[in-house]
Amino acid sequence: MNISIKQLFGRKPKSSSIAKQRLKLVITQDRFDVDDRVMTRLHHELAEVLAKYFEFSANSIKMDLKQEGNSYILVADFPYTKFHNTNMGQ
Amino acid sequence: MGKVIVVTSGKGGVGKTTSTANLGTALALLGKSVVVVDADVGLRNLDIVMGLESRIVYTSMDVIEKQCELAKALVRDRRVDGLMLLAASQKNNKDDIQPEQMKAICDKLRTTHDFVLVDSPAGIERGFSNASAGADEAIVVTTPDVSAIRDADRIIGLLQNAQIEPINLVLNRFSAQLVGNGSMMDQADVLDILNIDLIGVVPEDSGVITSTNRGIPLVYEDASPGAQAYMRIARRLTGQRIPIPDLEDKGLFNNIVKWFTRNR
Repeated sequence: MNISIKQLFGRKPKSSSIAKQRLKLVITQDRFDVDDRVMTRLHHELAEVLAKYFEFSANSIKMDLKQEGNSYILVADFPYTKFHNTNMGQ
Repeated sequence: MGKVIVVTSGKGGVGKTTSTANLGTALALLGKSVVVVDADVGLRNLDIVMGLESRIVYTSMDVIEKQCELAKALVRDRRVDGLMLLAASQKNNKDDIQPEQMKAICDKLRTTHDFVLVDSPAGIERGFSNASAGADEAIVVTTPDVSAIRDADRIIGLLQNAQIEPINLVLNRFSAQLVGNGSMMDQADVLDILNIDLIGVVPEDSGVITSTNRGIPLVYEDASPGAQAYMRIARRLTGQRIPIPDLEDKGLFNNIVKWFTRNR
């Protein structure tokens, strides 16, 4: 948005820009609002599949939802200690 | 085959019923045949906003319960050709109607009319599912404040899930003055958040209050800025391409003037 003269003179930010910022944040959260139970199930199923290929502790998997433009990105972090090469193709 | 358009918002009090009454009347003034349907069972108001409250005999509930034919339940607005109202029952509640029953009514009405405008109740529950069940398109009404916009975003998500398309936005109660002094989000801000097409901006207009008091839709007052905005939206609904005038002046000079003259 335009930087108005008021802001250049160091006055308080316009309440309309505050409204917009707050809305963007809350709406992103609303849109993300995935059911916690669904997330937990996904976490379990993901751990099951990953366990076939990697050695890791299930608690170490971190899942996070992010927004980029109009799409949402699920980021899963799983630090593993060992890769089971022998399991490939099973 | 006519179009069925649901007028909805999520939040109450943003102007759904006023918009339905004015757009319905405006479309009829443009020569279209229109039915406005009140889907707010138990809390009906479209009849009183349009000034037709004393003429309601049957409601959509009577049609569903086969107490009367659909055509007989329609109240003709005598002030303009081609405008009918289907009232909601006041003594029932939203759960007494099934979405399929509303859809059946809308499907029948569209065979005889160009436009069927369904005035949705506030909320995201049964009343909303009933109102949107038969809709091809949606008009989402919002005001430029945080709660109305947040609720509009929820409703837009639900409409998209129901594959109702297009979803057009009416930005209501817009004040160029408040935008100018930084106290109100402008249309670009709102569109940036909601990410749907804008079909019109209706300025804050005290004429809405007096016209509602009288039961005469604002669009009959040619000179009123609100009426002109609704007429433009109605033309756009009929497929005419009319640019949306920028109700706000953003120029540097204006900002300087406002800096000296603003009222905080």
